[in-house]
Amino acid sequence: MSYGKKVVSREELERIMALCESIERRGLDPFSVNVKELLARLRRILEEQKDLDTIVLDAETLYRIAVLISLQQKWLKERASSLFIDSQLVSLKIASADPRQLAAALARSWRPIVRAEQITPYRLRQGMEYFLMLPPRDRALEKLPLTREGLQITHQIGYAKGVELEEEIKKMHEACIRMAGSKGEVDYWSLVSAETFEGVVWRAYVLSFLVTEGLADIRKNPITGELKVVPYPSKKKREKITALVVSIKGGEVPKGLG
Amino acid sequence: MDEEKGETERAGRKLAIAASMLLFSSHRLPGVRGWELRRRLGRNYLKIIDALNSKLNSIGLRVKIMFDQPLGGSPAEEDFDRARFFVTLSEPLSVADIVAAGWNIEDVAVLAAALSYLFTKGGRASEKELVELIEVKLPRWKVEAAIERFIRKGYLTRAEDNTIKVGWRALAEVDEKELLKAIMDISPTQQKDGSEGRT
Repeated sequence: MSYGKKVVSREELERIMALCESIERRGLDPFSVNVKELLARLRRILEEQKDLDTIVLDAETLYRIAVLISLQQKWLKERASSLFIDSQLVSLKIASADPRQLAAALARSWRPIVRAEQITPYRLRQGMEYFLMLPPRDRALEKLPLTREGLQITHQIGYAKGVELEEEIKKMHEACIRMAGSKGEVDYWSLVSAETFEGVVWRAYVLSFLVTEGLADIRKNPITGELKVVPYPSKKKREKITALVVSIKGGEVPKGLG
Repeated sequence: MDEEKGETERAGRKLAIAASMLLFSSHRLPGVRGWELRRRLGRNYLKIIDALNSKLNSIGLRVKIMFDQPLGGSPAEEDFDRARFFVTLSEPLSVADIVAAGWNIEDVAVLAAALSYLFTKGGRASEKELVELIEVKLPRWKVEAAIERFIRKGYLTRAEDNTIKVGWRALAEVDEKELLKAIMDISPTQQKDGSEGRT
């Protein structure tokens, strides 16, 4: 068997597969292909060449032809359900009708879905509950100085540059243990309190790192809302991690920011 | 006596739940699946839907059940569980009603032409073919814009190989046989009075 003939057979099989695939993909008329002829070609190729590659390709082609036959069956069913109305006939009708006639034809067969898209009382109640749960926003915050002034403040209190955060965390940890004493816990607000608002923010910020590191824990009394910080002498692996949001402004306008 | 009254009240409540589930939905797709109805209404949800259907019929509405796949025989319980239930109009609209509802008559014509052609092509045709067919009636840009709009609304679907398919919404709302019959009934001399749609 020549190599050239093998290549030709392979190409022929691939062409048949591509043809079947394109009919399947593009929804063309599956009867536009002569299946008998395809099968005869397949048989001839298989008789001429019996190497493994050709047999595998032949099997794949046979599968594609089988799919085509199933499409023919489906096509017939659909044609029967559409009263054997041909697409050519529909095209002619569309070309001869005016838009209003086409619209009227659709109107005859169209029963639109009815649904309401407005909010339901249940969702309205849910939304109301959510709204009531939101903490009040302090309007004074909106007056916070922007960009340059804001950067100046952050620079003054050293939020980022020139501050050794690790050192601050260490200091906070020590303060926490000292203040907790034998009780083993300290009130959150007495721990973060400072002379200025910026100072309070800074201490709360550092404390958050302490908690994240596992050197302390914050416990909230669900009834009174009281916050307690429980310091640990060494890092403790936390089993359950939850986020706690603490509003440190408490509705007051801090000095220098109002 | 009290027991009977309680039973009626319960049934009434279930009807109200079924109506709210079918009519008010926050999903992208309207309606609810059968299993969702069963979860809220209980095992006999089909009876409740049937009762709701009778009530809706009196105001020109009906409950439509759309199965995931065309069924050969009568549907089984699992088929109903997977099916989508929604409310549609029970009678077709007239062209005047459609226009009054805010639809553009030319857009509706594009949809009619596209759907009827797709139905005869096994539910799928190339976009180019479809546009070329309809542009004999309307400007190309208008046809393309309308097709886009109907794709967004779910009446048509664009497949990855640039073919257009019949969308879920058209399958739910449009009666294929009725549309093809109506298209075949069009004659060039037909009266253009806008009330042809009323049956």
